[in-house]
Amino acid sequence: MLHLLKIEWLKVKNYRTFWVLFILYLVSIVGANYLIHEVLQANLRDTIKKQPTDAFIRMMIGSPPYAFPLSWAMTAYVSSFLLIIPGFLTIILFTNEFTYKTHRQNLIDGLTRNQFISAKLLSIVTLSAISALTVGLTATGFGFFTGENPFGGNYARYLSLSFLQCLNYCVMALMLGTLFKRSGIALGVYFIYVVIFDNVLFQVLNKYIYNTGYFLPMESADNLIPLPLAEHLQNQFLDRRDISDILITCIAYILLWVFISFRKFKTDDL
Amino acid sequence: MTTVLSLKGISKNYGRIQALKNVSFDVPAGSVFGILGPNGSGKTTLLGIILDILRPNAGSFELLGHPPSAEVRKGIGTLLETPNFYHYLSGERNLRIAAEIKGRGLNDIDTVLQKVNLHQRKTSKFNTYSLGMKQRLAIASTLLGDPNVLIFDEPTNGLDPVGIAEIRELIKKLAKEGKTIIMASHLLDEVEKVCTHVAILKKGELLASGHVDEVLVNEDIVEIAAADLEKLENTIQSINGYTHIKHAENGTLQLFYPMGSAKLEEVNQHCFNHGVVLTHLLFKKKSLETKFFELTGKDSDR
Repeated sequence: MLHLLKIEWLKVKNYRTFWVLFILYLVSIVGANYLIHEVLQANLRDTIKKQPTDAFIRMMIGSPPYAFPLSWAMTAYVSSFLLIIPGFLTIILFTNEFTYKTHRQNLIDGLTRNQFISAKLLSIVTLSAISALTVGLTATGFGFFTGENPFGGNYARYLSLSFLQCLNYCVMALMLGTLFKRSGIALGVYFIYVVIFDNVLFQVLNKYIYNTGYFLPMESADNLIPLPLAEHLQNQFLDRRDISDILITCIAYILLWVFISFRKFKTDDL
Repeated sequence: MTTVLSLKGISKNYGRIQALKNVSFDVPAGSVFGILGPNGSGKTTLLGIILDILRPNAGSFELLGHPPSAEVRKGIGTLLETPNFYHYLSGERNLRIAAEIKGRGLNDIDTVLQKVNLHQRKTSKFNTYSLGMKQRLAIASTLLGDPNVLIFDEPTNGLDPVGIAEIRELIKKLAKEGKTIIMASHLLDEVEKVCTHVAILKKGELLASGHVDEVLVNEDIVEIAAADLEKLENTIQSINGYTHIKHAENGTLQLFYPMGSAKLEEVNQHCFNHGVVLTHLLFKKKSLETKFFELTGKDSDR
C-alpha cells in the first residue's frame, strides 16, 4: 500500500497544476468560512446591539454560529459547497494518465490493473483526509477566535462526515474518469450532474415521491451535514433528524462507484 | 528456458474488425525476433495483448515459461507504440517512477540515460524533448534493471538517421549480450539488419514465422534479352538450375535461381552455343522488399 502511495506521490510531487488547485482549495475552505463568519457575526452583533433584551432570538439560534460546539457543524457545512474542487482534481489526476497513456506504461512496467486503480483510490482517500483535516483546523481556529465557549463539541462526528462527503464526491469523479477517459467530457458531465441535475432531481423526487430525493448520490452526501442553524431550530422543536439512513446511502454510493471503477478499469482495453 | 514467448491461437476483435486471427508462434530465447507487417496489420495489438493492455478474445500465451502476470512484466523492458511519460516531469523523474514500479533499476537511471545520450538533458521536462529524445527516453526506460527480455515497438520511430543507426547498434549489442529482443516494425530494412527470426503479419493473420533466412529467402535473378525473344525462351528451356522464368516488364526474361546458385557465364555460353546472342545479361539480387510485398500484398492495409 505504501509502495502504491509512493508511486502516486512521485507523480504529483512536481505537478504544479495539481498543487496550485489543491492549495487554492484548502485556502478556499478558510476563505469561504471567513466570509460566512463575517456575514453572520455582523448580523448577530447588530441584532444584539439593537435589541439587547431580545433573548428570544438568542435562544432561537443558540450561540454564535462559529463558537464551539457549533463551529464544527458550521465549518463542515460551509466547506461542503467546495467539494466539487477535489472532484475536479480527481478527474484531472486520473484522466491525465489516459491522455499521456502513462496508465499503459505503468501496467507495462509491472503494476497490475488492480494496483493501478487502488493507487488512485488511496490518493483520493488521502486527499479527502487532508480536506477533512483542514475543515477541522478551520473550525478550531474560528471556534477560538469567536471565543464564546471553551474548546469542545462533537468534532469526531463532523470531521468523519466531512471526510465521507469529500470521498463521495471524489469517488464519483473517479468513476466518471474510468467511464469517459477524457478529461473534457468527464469534467463536463461531473459539473453538470453535481451542480444541476442532482439538485433538480432532488426537488422533483421530493415533490412527487416523499423525501426520496435524499437518496440521490450527491444529496446523500450533502445532507449528512445540514445547515446547523436550521438543525438547531429543529432540535428545539422537532425530533432530532436521524441521518443513519442517509449515512448508509452515502457509504453505499461510495462502494458502488468504487466497484464500477474497478470493474471498468479491470476489464477494458486500455 | 528455451522459449521466451509462446503464443497459442490469439484472436482479437475491435467490434466487427478482426485485428488478430488465431495467431500462434514461439519466440526462442536469445533471438532478435522481428514482428513484421504493414501499418494496421496487428503488430501493436499483439504486443498490447502480451502486456495486458488489451484483452484477447481468444487464445492464450506464456511469457518466460509462466502465465502472464505483472511480476513477469517487471522483468521485461518494453516500449509500446509511443513514449508514454508524464509531460510535466523531467526525464530522470519519469524513470524514477518506472524504476519504482519495477522494483529494480533505481541505481541504473544515470547509466541508461548515458546509454541513449540523454544524460545532459535529464533534468529537462519531458514536454521540452524533441520526438527523437522522447523515443530515446523510452528506450532508456526499457533498459532499467538490465532485463533479459526487451520488447520494442517501432524503436526507431521519429529518430534521425544517426539516431536510427545508434539504436540499431544498441539492439545488436544487447543481442550479443544474450538478451532476447522482440521488435515490431514495418521497416523491412530494420528487420533485415538486426533480426535473427521473423513473424510476418498481414491483416491480423500470421503469414509466416521462423528464422529470417527461411522466411525471407532471397533469390538470385538473371535477366536476359535477345533480338529474338521467342527463340531465346526455347533455348533457355534446356538449362538446369533455375526454378522458374518470368517475362519482365522491360521486355526481358528473368530466370530465378536459389540464392548463390546463378552462374552468368553458363547462361551466356549456353545461349551462344545454341545460336542465340544475348543483347542483355544482368545479375540481380531479389530485394527483401519485393519478397515482403509478395508476402503481404502491395496494398497498404490501412
